[in-house]
Amino acid sequence: MSAGFLDIDCVKYACTCGLLKTLQQLYFCRYCSELRCTFCVSHEVDSHFCGKCCENLPSAEARVKKNRCVNCFICPSCRQELSTRAASKQPANPEESKATKRTYYLSCLCCRWSSRDIGLPDQTAATGSWPKRESIHSNRIQEIVSMYKGLQEKEKLDKEFFKKKQKEKIISYTDKTGITAAALRKRIGLPEDKPILKPKNAVKIVTPSKADENIDDFDEEVLTKSINLLEITSIDQRLLQPDVQPKEISNIFPIQKILSIKRSLRCRRCEHNVSKPEYNPNSIKFKIQLFAYYHIPEVRIVTVEPLRAGQACELILKFTNPTQHQTTVSFLPFDSPIEVKEAIPEEGAISQEDSLEELDKSSLTPSKKKSSSGTKLMSLVDTHITLTTSRSSARALSPRSIAESINCTVDIPSSTFILPPRDDAAEYDDFNEVHNIQDDKKLVVWRKSNKAYIKLVVTPNEDMPIDTTVTTGFTMSHLYTNTIASVADNKKPQKFNHNMRVILKLGKSVGLN
Amino acid sequence: MSDITLPRNNIKITTGALVCEDSKLRGDITIGKDTIVHPMATIIAESAPIIIGENCLIEEQAKIVYRVPFDRVEDKDNIPPLIIGSFNVFEVGCHVEAAKIGDSNVFESKCFVGNKVSVSNGCTIGAGCQLTNEQELKENIIVYGEKCQMREGLSKPLPQYSQMETLMKILPSYHHIKKPTQKTK
Amino acid sequence: MPLYEVEKSTIVLDIGTAYTKFGFTGEPVPRSIFRTQVKSKGQLRSLLDYQDSQDLYDMLVDFFHDIYFKYALNSPKDKPIVIVESLLCPIIFRESVAKVLFKHYGISSLLLLSSHLVSLATLAVETALVLDVGYKEAVCIPICYGLPMINAWQSLDLGSCSIHRNLQSLLYEKNSGAESLSEWILEDIKVRCCFVTKRSRAEQLSLSKPELGPCPEVKYPVEGNSILRVTGTIREKAYEILFDEDNDHLCLPTMILDALMKVNVDLRNQLAENILLIGGTTMAMGFKSRLKEELLHHMKEERYRKLNIKCFKFHASPSKENYTAWLGGAIYGATDWLNTKALTKDEYFEDNRLPDWSDLKYNTRRP
Repeated sequence: MSAGFLDIDCVKYACTCGLLKTLQQLYFCRYCSELRCTFCVSHEVDSHFCGKCCENLPSAEARVKKNRCVNCFICPSCRQELSTRAASKQPANPEESKATKRTYYLSCLCCRWSSRDIGLPDQTAATGSWPKRESIHSNRIQEIVSMYKGLQEKEKLDKEFFKKKQKEKIISYTDKTGITAAALRKRIGLPEDKPILKPKNAVKIVTPSKADENIDDFDEEVLTKSINLLEITSIDQRLLQPDVQPKEISNIFPIQKILSIKRSLRCRRCEHNVSKPEYNPNSIKFKIQLFAYYHIPEVRIVTVEPLRAGQACELILKFTNPTQHQTTVSFLPFDSPIEVKEAIPEEGAISQEDSLEELDKSSLTPSKKKSSSGTKLMSLVDTHITLTTSRSSARALSPRSIAESINCTVDIPSSTFILPPRDDAAEYDDFNEVHNIQDDKKLVVWRKSNKAYIKLVVTPNEDMPIDTTVTTGFTMSHLYTNTIASVADNKKPQKFNHNMRVILKLGKSVGLN
Repeated sequence: MSDITLPRNNIKITTGALVCEDSKLRGDITIGKDTIVHPMATIIAESAPIIIGENCLIEEQAKIVYRVPFDRVEDKDNIPPLIIGSFNVFEVGCHVEAAKIGDSNVFESKCFVGNKVSVSNGCTIGAGCQLTNEQELKENIIVYGEKCQMREGLSKPLPQYSQMETLMKILPSYHHIKKPTQKTK
Repeated sequence: MPLYEVEKSTIVLDIGTAYTKFGFTGEPVPRSIFRTQVKSKGQLRSLLDYQDSQDLYDMLVDFFHDIYFKYALNSPKDKPIVIVESLLCPIIFRESVAKVLFKHYGISSLLLLSSHLVSLATLAVETALVLDVGYKEAVCIPICYGLPMINAWQSLDLGSCSIHRNLQSLLYEKNSGAESLSEWILEDIKVRCCFVTKRSRAEQLSLSKPELGPCPEVKYPVEGNSILRVTGTIREKAYEILFDEDNDHLCLPTMILDALMKVNVDLRNQLAENILLIGGTTMAMGFKSRLKEELLHHMKEERYRKLNIKCFKFHASPSKENYTAWLGGAIYGATDWLNTKALTKDEYFEDNRLPDWSDLKYNTRRP
């Protein structure tokens, strides 16, 4: 995800999977009420389209066309998109027809390569008529593939035949009784039982390749003739055409552009989409887009006093409530366990953490903690999973520990504060707003509409050398109002506390004054 | 930039050329017929005169500097003038110090051509390409990409007549134009 | 290809140290060949430059993300995949690949194929000596009647990487500033200027005063700010590192001969007459004829006298050498093997490990 002006990485949130991301990079699954990021959601291909002509292709058609656009080409020399240029050609015989014929050729605006460079004749139609090249080996390889397929089939049949034959053998032990099945049949007057035929060897065996003693891959000319670098392709140009891998620049050929896709993102646990684009490639809108930015209070650093090792200093943060519901924010120590919801287990196989991951577990806050109340919910969820979808097994990812060390402590305030809901019209309100919120004056410095400035006291570690980056963090708990349930079941919106870890990079420490 | 004092301004503009008042011209410069110099273009003839041919297009922020190479500071008086041929295009933000420029070359946006480079005819220096070391660009060479890859073009870049026509019409209505000082020969 | 067959085609990957070959089963050519690189932590990194298993895991997640969503344009979930690997692939790499594919991407099954073995499928032969010269190393394994002779395998640290190092030091003698050349430029110089010369010339060139004129010099422009002199001698000598014997008297040709020494006497002639070269480095001009020259030359040595081989024959696969192993995988993947021999999701999650030929737990006949 690209960095925007909102995307400042000095404040990071810990995603449920343990990765640190900025709020703008996070998603919020409203069904699980958990943070998700691009790493811990599952990606799915939604629709295929060409990035140049914006043509939409159904996925089956895209597959048949080998995921390439029919009309758009990229430059075999520099990989930029080729543009179709029109040229008017005077007819050779002026009396023949007076109208000039329009012909088309491909041209690269970056390296000025054109289809005329390789002597490709201009086309009369703007699109679709460019010649295609087939691999010279494709027939031979098809033969080999069908031979191996056939051999495998035969092996399978042979096995079955062998099994049948074994069965037959067992039956033939009835010989001892004096009456065989065949004899019996004869006596009754039935036609003779057909013996089980060995499956016919119908596989067409390809003539195996013949090794050759004479090799001629050395060109004596190279020793005497000086080479022109401009005529030899680079390795990247060669690999653009894996079947030919041309050595001379005169053999490169326009390449059909690879299609692009739109992706939808799906929460691994509840299988709900957190992001789903609109089908039309021209549209940049989304059907579903659950950005955390619309649900989680945003934290920004306003000011911080010079950071000195071992000395308490004042930090002012700005909190913004993006939701339509009032929320209450409180602080918890950074490594306080994140409650139950987080500890929902993966299925048996995965919860056995294998050794690879075990090694990396640092001492810092393993976010997987199972409290006694958690186990109850756990078993419930367990049965839920096994009942509804076996698919969701193996899909949840085990969370990892947070890869950032904290070298500065925060004095966790005991009091909480309220953030009023967002009101888009507030900005245009001329009256000074009156709010009857009883604030802890030590905590809340200033507030306006859905924003509040909060004062915290932080203390960098004693032994910190000068000029180290000071990192601090806390667990933010806010009252989240889930409206999903209310829509579905006609109930009141559910309210609960949602906890997440926030990591702040406060800047470099300075020396003692 | 210079401890060398610039020679007196001596700008010769041929009739038919379009030179905006806002352009920065220093030194002895001759501008050929039908050449367009945009506002904010810079041409500095520091060491010797610059003679620009016909039908050239010098866009905004383009910089053409003719500077003495360090190894030739001594015989300052015998430096030949820089003759820029016809149909050259200097795109937005290019910086050209080349010692020789032929005909029909394109210097794309933000490219840099050092003073040890001599450019022949029909060359294209791609956007952002930086050529600094001593070299001679053969005809129809195209330099492109961040690694300054080179390839040989089939033909010279075509002159952009229609764009120049439009500019000839539009520029005088929005900018002050320097008056031509010379009649076409 | 009919539509229903296209529907079923499966991704085939050959993840090399330098380049990854990507395509679909049953197709004659890979769809794309690209550098085995991943944008991680703000810079392009080679996949095999991992620091620890977590780092590798993260890079592989990004790597397969690119493969699925940039090249294959397919959702990975509940689909099989074919991966061609070297027998000498590091365990941590294999395990991480399997973990990423099964856990992160939820694939249904994984078919791992040995690159040397499957390469024979492209020829439709069963017995051949396969020499793979890639980026990091050269590995030679004889395959007899479809069985790799593991006891006879040979491997040396010879490949593109060592050629690049050699080229760099050769360039440095003639040009200042050559020590900071990027891998990309070295590769480009190698590909566009250098070739494998003939044995007679190589012998002359190694003398202090060679009695022959070198081939023409090339002036190679580097990023518009300098010009490298690639002399004729450099052009010819860059590849010599492959044929120069090291301290243990080992080089590329001796690998083949040593491998032949280790197989049964009856098989030796047959293998020598069925040599298959795979890997991008073998595509260099003059490589094959030189290798043959060198083989015949080394045969005169005392240590190989008892081999008693008169001629060496080389196969030409219906592909370019750099994707022969991939093609083998595409052929195998098109058959029923994909269903019968692949490791399924359930099998993997039984003990979260990949079966490995070197592990006796798996390398026994199942009852």
